[in-house]
Amino acid sequence: MDIYKKWFWILLAPAILLFFLVIIFPFIVGLLNSFLAWRGTYYFDPETGIRAQSMFSSFIGFENYTNAFKDERFIRALVYTIQYTFVAVVVVNIVGLGLALLVTKAQKGASLFRTVFFLPNMLGGLALGFIWQFIFQIVFTNLLFSPDGLLHIPFLRYMTQDSTKALFALVILNAWQFGGYMMIIYIAGLNNISRDYYEAASIDGATPIRTFRSITVPMLMPSFTVVFFLTLSNSFKLLDQNIALTDGEFNTRLLAMQILRTVKDTAPPDYGKAQAQAVIFFLLVASITLTQVYVTKKRELEL
Amino acid sequence: MKKRIVVLLVILCTVSLSVFAGGQAEADKGYDLYIYNSKGENAAQFADMAKAYEAETGVRVKTFSIGSGQDHMETLRAEMNSSNKPSIFSIQGVKELIEWYQGGFVVDFNKVTDAKFKSFSDAIAPSLRLTNDGSNSFGVPYNVEGYGYIVDTQMVADLFGTGKVEAFIADTKAATYAEWETLVKALDAYIKNNKAATVKLNGNSYTLAANKTGLAKNLNGVFAVMGAEKWTYGDHFINVALNAAFGDPNAAANSTDADVEKLRGALTAYAKALDLKTSYLAGLNGPAKRGQDFVSSANFGYDQAVQIFADSKAIFFKQGNWAYGNIANVNEKQAERLEFLPVKMPFQAADVILAGMTVDKLNTSIPVFVPNYYAINSMVPAAEQKLAMDFLVWLNTSETGKKFVVEDFNFIPYNADPATTTLPNSLGNSILDYITSGNIIAAPYHGAPATWSGDVVGLRLMEQYLTKATWTTQDYKEIVDYAIQTWQNLN
Repeated sequence: MDIYKKWFWILLAPAILLFFLVIIFPFIVGLLNSFLAWRGTYYFDPETGIRAQSMFSSFIGFENYTNAFKDERFIRALVYTIQYTFVAVVVVNIVGLGLALLVTKAQKGASLFRTVFFLPNMLGGLALGFIWQFIFQIVFTNLLFSPDGLLHIPFLRYMTQDSTKALFALVILNAWQFGGYMMIIYIAGLNNISRDYYEAASIDGATPIRTFRSITVPMLMPSFTVVFFLTLSNSFKLLDQNIALTDGEFNTRLLAMQILRTVKDTAPPDYGKAQAQAVIFFLLVASITLTQVYVTKKRELEL
Repeated sequence: MKKRIVVLLVILCTVSLSVFAGGQAEADKGYDLYIYNSKGENAAQFADMAKAYEAETGVRVKTFSIGSGQDHMETLRAEMNSSNKPSIFSIQGVKELIEWYQGGFVVDFNKVTDAKFKSFSDAIAPSLRLTNDGSNSFGVPYNVEGYGYIVDTQMVADLFGTGKVEAFIADTKAATYAEWETLVKALDAYIKNNKAATVKLNGNSYTLAANKTGLAKNLNGVFAVMGAEKWTYGDHFINVALNAAFGDPNAAANSTDADVEKLRGALTAYAKALDLKTSYLAGLNGPAKRGQDFVSSANFGYDQAVQIFADSKAIFFKQGNWAYGNIANVNEKQAERLEFLPVKMPFQAADVILAGMTVDKLNTSIPVFVPNYYAINSMVPAAEQKLAMDFLVWLNTSETGKKFVVEDFNFIPYNADPATTTLPNSLGNSILDYITSGNIIAAPYHGAPATWSGDVVGLRLMEQYLTKATWTTQDYKEIVDYAIQTWQNLN
């Protein structure tokens, strides 16, 4: 025990140091910058119209925050992100859990399927976005769902050219990418459920649906906590796929991209406003995911 | 326990602060002059040029070229925040100047005392200077560029007869919009229904060949258009109309809401000309129409439009001389035969409010402008600024420097004498012809609000109008209203 006490902080120091350098320190600087007329390479002084002599003369209070909320594009991105997150969390979970159930039930080749389903996750978001752009623009539009294609479904054509369709296009892309990852977590959860419960249930004559509802779901709560947290925060923070697939055209900017593009929308670049949006973004994601973890944790069974 | 944590945190903070503040010691940077180049297309040639300069003068030059098509501003800002700032960096017009001007990063050439550089910078033509008040000057032009409808002279020969090429080019340059419109429609009827009509251009008649021969056999439309690239119809096409009201970027930048309101007539002409252009489209596999396919980058992106034109499927292609390399990559022979024609719009005399500008001048000229400037960083030591000045003088006036600019960068030098210069590419020479004859207009769109022309108006057109088969008078009005209103909002 003593040896742990002695070495505890020393062993922890490198991790804490890194955490401070790359997370806490930039976070504090960013928070400060959200109250200043920051332009990226200099602090702007609204009084003189040029570079501020000191940081204090660049202080503009909550102006960056009010500007952010006055920005139509920011509000639009906020609403779009919430809509997207809602659909994505539901779909990715259904896909992940569905795959997990299938793979754990599979008699043959379970590990092969597991690997294959997990593979898309190995690709980067940008690459995936461009691959799916090709699929949506060429395969879906011109081959599969065109009037003389396999099945004529107008909704599945030109999916990157309409904000509603593009939302579902992004969901399809992400279900494909994250489904396998969530599947692995669910498989771990499913394997942890003792066979005894199922055996007892089958002796009592429970139907498969009843078994799923009364045994699998409650016993899987810890996995739900993790998967919900991951899908929620991933969906909110989605950036690469958004850029590669539509680049925000047709009103499809998600919040992360909106923050990134704020400095391009303004000249000189309004980094202060972008930073304020980032702080709002942080508060939003933190509050939603913490609430979710709190709620799902409470429903976990203590064994 | 608590004490320990506090001590640890204090140590951590000091360590992290010292990491951030460190590295201030003035050591040898490993270079004497650092040039930041935002034109990725000539990265390799730029590095060769720096080596040649180093061999000649002994000044150690570090160059950094951004990747082609990458966002150069993010990287430049990072470099400006570092302790090794570029001595020379690039500014793409007055839009970008605001940032470096406010931040105090630019040297005003008027305040330079170095005699050699002073006389060099004074020699930059006033219309080519980078200035935000008309008197200061912050940049040495990289080069000049121009754009218009690119046409293949061999195609003209196949359509109207070999002997008619020069006359046709000259008369089309001079033609009115009405004549241009008739020409486009006659060409469309010829391509689609084999109707060989006679058209009048600038008073002279031209008769289409009775049978399609040569390149004309490949045609499936009149125009090759990049429907997915909003800057082509946003920034560049709209710029022609802005010339009716603004003579330079600063005039546009300093415009009031009332000035913008006066653009109504010119912008209506713009909408009509765009309607004409996008109504007679060529496609990769047969004639194309406005619609959802037209704005998808898989069908009408940059490369696809170049391919359509280089395969002789279209007659006209609105692009600039920068597209020369792209065209040559697909069809090297065609690239040697290209000429520019002016972008024409149905302006009325009342639409043209800029003093000295006329409808005729607008419809017979092509925009020629400076896309990029070298600026000297005022944040680097005076000795380094001096080296930067010497270098810029060398690049633009010495024989070796000029050779790199013309032959290796494939640039049109801003200080070239059009009468005595011949360039190694057809499009560059065509621009020189326009400069010689004085038929050039400016690039006031550089002075419009930051995102207005491309990301606001261009995007709106792409999303709502280029996908729409027919445009009505109401559509023209809505496009114009939207353009004017968004400019005023962004101001």
